[in-house]
Parts: sequence; structure tokens; C-alpha cells
Amino acid sequence: MEIFSPLYQLAGCLYEPMFMRRSALALALLTVAASSSGVMVVNRRMAFFPDAVGHSVFAGVAAALMLSLNVQLTVLALSVLIGLTVTFLARHSHLASDTVIGLVFSGAVALGLALVSRQPQAAAGLSRFFLGDVLTLDDAQLTALAGLDVLTIVFLGLMTNRLTLACVVPRSSSDRWGEYLFGAYLAVVVAVGVQAVGVLLVTALLVAPAATGRVVSVSFRGMFWAAMAAGLVAGQAGLWASFQPAVNTSAGATVVLVNVLLFCLAALYRKIRPVR
Amino acid sequence: MSQAGLLKPAPERPPETPDGRPPDSSAPPAAPDRPGPTGGPGCGHYRHPGAGTPGERAASAHKPVVTLADVSVTLGQYKALRRVTATVPLRSQTVVIGPNGAGKSTLVQTILGFLPHEGSLTFDPPSPRFGYVPQRLDYDRHLPLTVTEFLALGLTRRPLWLGVSRVVRKKVSEGLERVMASDLAARPLGALSGGETQRIMLAAALMSDPDILVLDEPATGVDINGEQLMCELLDGFKKDYTIIMVSHDLPTARAHGDWVICLNRRVVAQGRPEDVFRPKILAATFGLHQGAELWSDHKI
Repeated sequence: MEIFSPLYQLAGCLYEPMFMRRSALALALLTVAASSSGVMVVNRRMAFFPDAVGHSVFAGVAAALMLSLNVQLTVLALSVLIGLTVTFLARHSHLASDTVIGLVFSGAVALGLALVSRQPQAAAGLSRFFLGDVLTLDDAQLTALAGLDVLTIVFLGLMTNRLTLACVVPRSSSDRWGEYLFGAYLAVVVAVGVQAVGVLLVTALLVAPAATGRVVSVSFRGMFWAAMAAGLVAGQAGLWASFQPAVNTSAGATVVLVNVLLFCLAALYRKIRPVR
Repeated sequence: MSQAGLLKPAPERPPETPDGRPPDSSAPPAAPDRPGPTGGPGCGHYRHPGAGTPGERAASAHKPVVTLADVSVTLGQYKALRRVTATVPLRSQTVVIGPNGAGKSTLVQTILGFLPHEGSLTFDPPSPRFGYVPQRLDYDRHLPLTVTEFLALGLTRRPLWLGVSRVVRKKVSEGLERVMASDLAARPLGALSGGETQRIMLAAALMSDPDILVLDEPATGVDINGEQLMCELLDGFKKDYTIIMVSHDLPTARAHGDWVICLNRRVVAQGRPEDVFRPKILAATFGLHQGAELWSDHKI
């Protein structure tokens, strides 16, 4: 696609094969959305939310096949529904949010398995949504990730301050619609990301870079940009390392491992230089 | 119970009204017209837009800002407030006192509009702006958020990740100066002590340029020095704002309040501190023995 040509040329500095350039670009696009929204996920203690929404993708795929619906749209709609359900239950059930997320997570996985058991042909493609494959993306998926970045910049541009204020002030005066909007937005990030690179990579990219940023920063701005930098560096380093003959591992898993390694280094740094 | 409020001498009381109404009458006191704030260098520089001249203030001083008539609040099956009738006078410090479970926080949350109620609740002006300092914030103490960033949240729509603009930074700096907290600007919010946190919350409440400042137990979790500083700051602000404060600290209420509402799910009495702090009223509010003890031990 023409629009990505300059970015492919830029990625050519690191990688020769075209599919590698495409993967590098995909990781960078996903990192922008995941790392920045991950800051809100970690600060709002919603680290398992992406897991619950991500695993509902299986149910979405199976339901789409059973009902002959568009797979992408069905997955997106079900993910948003799950996201709004978690937000609603967390607000109204008097249960802690991790309990609610665990409940919905279990329900989503069970629904997916139940539907797949009735639709065996759906099972064949499901492993792609779990493990993902960052090396086989097409232009349509890259475009979806670029669209996700635009959505992220607009959403976080408008909502960051409201959502951060709600982390501090009591619930009685917090912004109810802000919570629902964030739940729906995050569900879209997860649904698009999972269809491109799988649950494992999306949930890791939503949590690990933000956790690294949080460890090294005492300000919100510092955390945001540190998370972005950590995600971009770990993504490209992981992809590059996975193709070295001495390593030769799965690209997605290596990216996750480098993210975790970066977090460990950040935690070590904070241990040596504690916050005053 | 902290005695910190006693460390500061009682402020000068406004003169008696000519009609000499009883303690539980609805006539609020004249607004205190003190020479200036005692809270420090930052407090005196601000002037509320509606403050008016001293003469204008004196003329409007009797006007109640908040009027509750037969207000009842039910929380689930529990009747938290029963037919509460009370007033809050303009530009003075009204202190709501009462035992645990008396409905003090419920009362201020009803005034703030957080809780549904029966009865009449009216304001003058009709839609006042509120500045609210909650009792104790239960938030993540490791949240990466500096004091400047926190205060900027209420001043700008520019997302924090783009940084705080110079204009907003200046406003934050002025707000911190007013609560004697300029040195806290770059500190993480979660690293502050209880007293420092309350002053930052006070600064945030003041930045919304409120008509009514509401504080729910501002001395909870605060050391003696922090409590005294908070009281002094509020003394300085009450010529510019109408302040409603919930307190279980009777010495503080007596020393710093201009108007006291004794609450025990219903209004037991309301009036000037010297009229309300009497053994019979305290016994009726806090129970026979505790009221007598408070009086006999000169705790108030």
C-alpha cells in the first residue's frame, strides 16, 4: 500500500526482507496504541481487562461462523459488549474489579469453547487469535492498526485528564460516562490487536511497557513517554533478536520476553535509585 | 480527639444581632470582617469576584446561602437524615458537629448534590459552584502523578502527556502559594503526608473559584501542625468564601466556627458557637454522659 511506502523504506534500515519490514511497522503501530492506553490500564488497575476481552474473540469468531456474519465486525461488537459489561458490573455489583474481570473472563472463554464445540471448523483458525503471527500481516491489518492509532490519539487526547482525575477522586464524583467510554475504547484496541497479532502479544503490550514506565517515573507525563519508548524499543529489539541465528525463536514470544526483560531492568534501576 | 484547635485563640466574634435570637434560631451571624487572613503570605492576595466592599458584605451577611427545610435522606433502609432544617450563612465558617453516624457526611454530600433527598434544599445564588475537599481519598499512593499535574487536571483540557503549559503552571503555582504549599509542586501526590494532601485538595477546591467551600473532616489523618495550619488557612479564606466543614473535633469547631449545626440525624441545635456549646445541647447531641464529660473536663 502506497501510504506505508516511506515507513517500509525506514524499516529497510534494519530489515531486508519485506515481510520483516511489514512486521516491524505493525509492531510499531500496535505499540503506539497499546503502550499509551496501557498507561491508563495499569493506573486504573485493569491489567486483566484485556485478557477477558481478548478471550471473547474465540466466542466472536465461532458465533460469526455459526450465524454467517462478518467475523471482524462480530468480534468487534462482542468485544465492546464484554468491555461495557465489565465496566457495568464493576460499578454496580459491589465486587472488586478483579473479581468482575475474572468472572467475565471465565464466561467469555467458556462461551467460546461451547460455541466452538458446536462448530468444529471454527477451531482450526482459533490458534491464530491466541498465539498470533506478527510475520504474516497483510495491508488491511496494517491499515486497521494505523486506524487504531488515530483513534487512540483522539480518545486519549480528549479523555486522559478525566480518566486520571477519576483515579484520585472518590467514585461519587467521578465520571461515569468516562468509564464506559474507556471500557468500549479499550475493547476496540484489544479486538483489533488480537485479530492482527493474537491475545498473547496484545495483552503483554498493554501491560509490560506501561509497568516499565510506571516503575521509572514519578510523573504521568514521564510514565506515558517512558512506556512508549519501552514498547517501541522492546518491540523492535525482540523482532530483530528473534531472527538472529543464535536465537531463532517465535517473533511474538520474543517481543514479549524482551518487554519483560526491560521491566526487570527498570525495576533494578529503581531499586538502586529509589524515589525520594 | 485532637486538641490542636485550642492552640489558636478563638477568633473575634461578630457583634450580637439586635434582636438577640435564641441559639437554634435561623438568624445567621454577621460575616466576620477580619483584618486579613492569618494563613500566610499567599492567602491575602486573592479576592473572590463576588466579595464586594466591606459595606456590601455586611449588608449581605445575614443572607443564608444554603437553606434546608425538612430534608430527609434514606440510604437503603437506613434513615440517615430526618427532617433537617438548617441554614448556612454567607461568607462564614459553618461547622457541622455530631457523633459518629450522625449523618454529618451525608448532610454535606446532600448539599453537594451527590445524594437524593426529600424536602427542600435551596441555594442563593440558585446554582452555586462548589469546591469540595473529601474526607480521605483512598487512591493508589504509587500513582505517578505530581502535585502540579494533579492540580492541572482541573484547569486544562490539554492531556497530561503533552505536559503542563506555562500558563497553567503559573496558575498552579499561585494556587499552591495560597495554601502555603509552593514547595510541593514537583512532589508525587502519593508521597505527601496527610496534612500536605489536604492542603493540595484545598488548593484544588479553591481553583474552581467556588461560591461554597465544603470540607469533610479535613483534620482526619493529619498531624497537629498540619491541622493548625489548615485551620489558619480556613480562617483566612472565610471572608471570601462560604465554608461548610464537617468536624468531630469540638475545640476546633468552637475556636474557628462562626455558625455551628449540631446534628444527630436531625438538627439538635444551630447557632453561634457560644450559644450552641452548652451542656444541655451537647448532651442532646452526643448523649447525656459524653456531653456532660465534654463540658466538665473543659475540653471545649
